[in-house]
Amino acid sequence: MNTIVTIAGLGILSMLSEIFHFKKQLFVLILLGLAAAIGISVMEWDTAYSYYNHMVLIDNYAIAFSVLLMSVTLLWFLMSQSYFKSESSMEAHAAIILFALCGAICMTCFSDLSMLFIGLEILSISMYVLCGSDKLNKRSNESAMKYFMMGAFATGFLLFGIALIYGVVGSFNLTDIATYTGQNVNNLPMIFYAGIVLLLVGLFFKVSAAPFHFWAPDVYDGAPTVITAFMATVVKTAAFAAFYRLFATCFSSVFTFWIDIIAIVAALTMLAGNILAVYQTSVKRMLAYSSVAHAGYILMALAAVSQSSKGAIFLYLIAYSLSTLGVFAVLNIIHEKKLSDDVSVFNGLAKSNPLAAAMISICMLSMAGIPPMAGFFGKYYIFLAALNSGFTWLVLMAVLSSLIGVFYYFRIVMAMYTGKNETTAFEIKGLPLFFLVLSGVLSVIIGLGTNFIVNLL
Amino acid sequence: MTLTVLLSSPADYLPVAIMFVVAMGFVLTTIFVTHLLGPNRKSKIKLDSFECGIESKDNARVPFSIKYFLIAILFVLFDVEIIFMYPWAVNFLDMGMEGFLKMLIFLGLLFNRLLYILKKGALKWE
Repeated sequence: MNTIVTIAGLGILSMLSEIFHFKKQLFVLILLGLAAAIGISVMEWDTAYSYYNHMVLIDNYAIAFSVLLMSVTLLWFLMSQSYFKSESSMEAHAAIILFALCGAICMTCFSDLSMLFIGLEILSISMYVLCGSDKLNKRSNESAMKYFMMGAFATGFLLFGIALIYGVVGSFNLTDIATYTGQNVNNLPMIFYAGIVLLLVGLFFKVSAAPFHFWAPDVYDGAPTVITAFMATVVKTAAFAAFYRLFATCFSSVFTFWIDIIAIVAALTMLAGNILAVYQTSVKRMLAYSSVAHAGYILMALAAVSQSSKGAIFLYLIAYSLSTLGVFAVLNIIHEKKLSDDVSVFNGLAKSNPLAAAMISICMLSMAGIPPMAGFFGKYYIFLAALNSGFTWLVLMAVLSSLIGVFYYFRIVMAMYTGKNETTAFEIKGLPLFFLVLSGVLSVIIGLGTNFIVNLL
Repeated sequence: MTLTVLLSSPADYLPVAIMFVVAMGFVLTTIFVTHLLGPNRKSKIKLDSFECGIESKDNARVPFSIKYFLIAILFVLFDVEIIFMYPWAVNFLDMGMEGFLKMLIFLGLLFNRLLYILKKGALKWE
């Protein structure tokens, strides 16, 4: 709870910086504030406490995911420093990002459906604005418009689902809903199941699962690169945290009804994301499709509904966020130079900057799921959870689509190492290079300590 | 949890269906009947969008200054936020000091935003 207040306070502080002229110090203030919020959150570990008439429940699950979200945002601020320098209204962007983070944290700690809705809306509305923040760029406007239209529609589905569930149970509270479903497993009315399906549709949209993924490539492609990085990491993490929390606590007694739906959607998402990513020439668009594919893998863990899927999702999201941020840091440099982000832009990077090339390779290998990177262990634990729950066909599909994934991730690695060029048109140095090394090294280190992370939850 | 589920049968929705038929029927009947009863004079003036004595001129789709839009949207924002004060004012005594402090925080945030808007020059007309 204190973390939400701290971060909202930071957001307001960013707005005040415009009025009281301390814009120069704002960047440092935000970094310190986020670090403090992470500290406050960690201090609350193992003290499950419920706030505001049981609307918010800060348990270890919520803390783990909020710390992940805040750490990713902290790294994101480091990564996008150059973006903030070039932007005239930097404090407004920082404020909106911090408010979006607030919404994301609400989505990890809700214990009430109305709180879920509030969190989701705070996050989504901030993202609609940020997508269109490159005001003079048509693509950015298009992306904001598309995201808003589709997002509003999906929110409608989610709300309708919440309304139907409320109609049956008579409460928004997750524990009340769980007790009610537990007691009436065999005579739940049809509209309850309709409510679950509508909730699923809304959440599938938010995590960009097939067949609700069509918005993702266009929105990811059109939005400013740093904002895309934020969407691909923070928004996705928050959406999955909410998804798991909702379905694992509320509807665990009727899991036979929804695990098959999620399993089929997971299979579709993996295949659609990976196959479509192969055909992309723009690296940014390719990463958008790859993020769709990653959503598919995480959905597998949701379908497994076992005690181990919590930790598996957490580990996977850490690995995925780290490598995504690393790659997007490079893409940001490329886009700032107004270069096309065709794969060929990476030609010869291994010769001009071997360190950066190695780190990008680590990020790519982690995303592709090659041992010993963190991404491999993320996939390993998810596949294990799915196998233990008897989803052999799903695991086979996942392995197959991972192989397709290796193909397009390696295209970038190949371009860097076998490209004929001696130099690249862009340079990676200073903070972005440090950042890249950080995410590469962390990807390896987390790969070594996976047991600890998985058993944390 | 003493709530029981009221199992509803389709027959319970009959009043809704009747209401729907009545509503649709009223609209359709009035449209149809006015066509039958009213005299049918078609002239340019009769077909104008505003036929109230003042001659209409130009197109309605003229570009207007974006500042109107900005001010209108800011008005709506602040107007809606102020609505929170009504339930607070009604329950002022019951909520006591805590409610008062909460409202102060809320108004402080609102004031912060007003300052921000002024500082950004959103209300400057020039």
